[in-house]
Amino acid sequence: MGGVEDDEPPSKRVKVSSTGVRSFSGSLSLSEPVTSFQGESMARPLPFEGGEEMVGSKQVIKKVEFVRIITKALYSLGYEKSGALLEEESGIPLHSSVVSLFRQQVLDGNWDESVSTLGKIGLLDENIIKSASFLILEHKFFELLGKEKVMDALKTLRSEIAPLSINNSRLHELSSCIVSPSQCTSLGFSIQDTLGSGSRIKLLDKLQKLLPPTVMIPERRLEHLVEQALNVQLEACFFHNSLDSAMSLYTDHHCGKDQIPSQTLQVLHAHRDEVWFLQFSHNGKYLASASNDGSAIIWEVNESRVALRHTLSGHQKAVLTVSWSPDDSQILTCGMEEVIRRWDVNSGECLHVYEKAGLGLISCGWFPDGKRVFSGMSDKSICMWALDGKELECWKGQRTLKISDMAISNDGNQILSMCRETAILLIDREAKVERLIEEGQTITSFSLSKDNKFLLVNLINQEIHLWCIDGDLRLIAKYKGHKRTTMDLQVYIWHRSTEELLEALPGHSGAVNCVSWNPVNPHMLASGSDDRTIRIWGLNRVNLKRKDAYSNGVIRHCNGGT
Amino acid sequence: MMMDIDTDPPPRQFDQVAINDNDVRNIVLSYLVHNCFKETAESFIACTGMKQPADFPVGIDKRKPIFHFALEGNALKAIELTEQLAHNLLEENKDLHFDLLGLHFVELVCSRKCTEALEFAQNKLTPFGKVHKYVEKLEDFMALLAYEEPEKSPMFHLLTQEYRQHVADSLNRAILAHANQPSYSAMERLIQQATLVRQCLHQDFGKDGAPFCLKAFLKS
Repeated sequence: MGGVEDDEPPSKRVKVSSTGVRSFSGSLSLSEPVTSFQGESMARPLPFEGGEEMVGSKQVIKKVEFVRIITKALYSLGYEKSGALLEEESGIPLHSSVVSLFRQQVLDGNWDESVSTLGKIGLLDENIIKSASFLILEHKFFELLGKEKVMDALKTLRSEIAPLSINNSRLHELSSCIVSPSQCTSLGFSIQDTLGSGSRIKLLDKLQKLLPPTVMIPERRLEHLVEQALNVQLEACFFHNSLDSAMSLYTDHHCGKDQIPSQTLQVLHAHRDEVWFLQFSHNGKYLASASNDGSAIIWEVNESRVALRHTLSGHQKAVLTVSWSPDDSQILTCGMEEVIRRWDVNSGECLHVYEKAGLGLISCGWFPDGKRVFSGMSDKSICMWALDGKELECWKGQRTLKISDMAISNDGNQILSMCRETAILLIDREAKVERLIEEGQTITSFSLSKDNKFLLVNLINQEIHLWCIDGDLRLIAKYKGHKRTTMDLQVYIWHRSTEELLEALPGHSGAVNCVSWNPVNPHMLASGSDDRTIRIWGLNRVNLKRKDAYSNGVIRHCNGGT
Repeated sequence: MMMDIDTDPPPRQFDQVAINDNDVRNIVLSYLVHNCFKETAESFIACTGMKQPADFPVGIDKRKPIFHFALEGNALKAIELTEQLAHNLLEENKDLHFDLLGLHFVELVCSRKCTEALEFAQNKLTPFGKVHKYVEKLEDFMALLAYEEPEKSPMFHLLTQEYRQHVADSLNRAILAHANQPSYSAMERLIQQATLVRQCLHQDFGKDGAPFCLKAFLKS
């Protein structure tokens, strides 16, 4: 049996209730002084006058509720003994004896008794009693039908359920069930199920949702409260830039501005001309860059260092864009109005060249199954090939524009591509439906979020628009750039919800054409520029070392935040 | 501009329409025969010296008992006689068949014979439930079982005389149609048409006055 033994000196016992008692403001009548814990005193419920007992520094948490929620959590986690012990030690039962009796009667199927016990639970208004009775009697009805006691079920229906005079439509549905058992399944009641014990537990769950929470504590209430707190911390974290798994209950979550990459860690000089496109692989281990010099380079990422792995030469024209295969083992490169080449990442070998006679290809992408690739053409159509080069499908007409952005959803069903200077076309391959996102300005590029629900659209007027494409198309946010009179040479980082500028990173000596976040390391950013270099950005090491204080409920205002 | 037909001073337009008394008598007789008023019809024929209609009184003699059984809720008897009179009529009119069976079910429920009602429903009514359009109606009937006082239930209209009249009328029409006779009496058709015409006139030309109402017209 767990727990501390009774003959141990009191000082070794865990002083459970001390904080609770110290914060109590009313007067106490006790037979023993509070701070000495001897014998059974801890187990006796403390009588108090003048209000309920509170816990916590702000005195807003009622002790009885707090203990009951913990008790419930213990039972949910399967710690029956601990739960019972807590009820005993604290003197605070999880359920009143009436409610315990009620629950037991429901589990035992003593329907009529449970309905009458229901009436004895205080704090219930008539409607709730009726609704709860309805639920119980309905279950009784279904159990009778399950045992083929049709006339008994009918009697229950007529003499017990109907007189409640609530929920007539449900009553009629139950009537139909008498003659057609198939109706029961459509109502969500498998006759098989009602005969198992699990169904009575489900009934208790339904009843608990109906009754006020003071009577029966909702399931997983403690977990829910903790999740709420974590959510608040997340939302308050202005510079949040870490993986959610980094959240811990031991200290408040708080990203400082130092969690945003702000320092150039490396400058990569390998390209001989403007760098037009960058993309990290899905697993964050590689970075691919595409350049006007006609080559693409695969870089290997090793912690925070990036090193050249392969130079992919072969294109006769500038490389517009690259696309990593879903498993990162291969990569597609697209030459400007030229061909698409497929390469093996490990060896750097070119495995296949995809082309279409008489047409130039301007964009490329993979299907999520990794077995098919697609490409936009200079004649504005889209073509799909199997890996071996066999052409599978072709969508003709005004599908693309001479801009290389294309995207495909994870399920392979939606294809997004530019179809006018100011519009993006979303093709649903299965439903054969096309939708359009229209902007007031020319679109320069777009990218699809990982969960395929959002689309980030860059406009020529320096605005970036965030669209939701899940369900109805709707514009959710606009991020406005700074007014500039000269060409922009900085990398900008925005807060997604507040649309505020978090960071501006100078360093490039030419226009910044592309950026890519490392999907696996949120502290690594790469940018490519007309100055032919690629810059790798990371956290500011100096600031990091200063951050070793642990926060526990202290609210901080970030520099440069609001 | 059309004048108000009823209240305008003479001479009114319709006064010029000639009426043949024979036509009127035929209209009246058609009504009496359709609704199985056998004695009244015989009396009327005798008084006016009209010619008897072709199948008089055989047709009425066959239809009248069926009509009345249905009207009093004795649906099983009505069904039996209908089968004798017009063999596959009910098979060809499934809706009607269902309504008649429903009548019997309602009788059982009203006489508080629940077990019988349930059995009858299971055997005769639920087979219809396989077809979608009967499902809702079936639910309405079944709902009656839930109430110890079905007259006080939301479905009480199924217990009324009006409902029985409606079913009996439908049966009557079906039998007439089956015998290649008009299923609506001339009287009904004329009233329907007149009402419709009056309503159209009111819509197109009427002033602010109330639209045509037959009841009001008859009282005036």
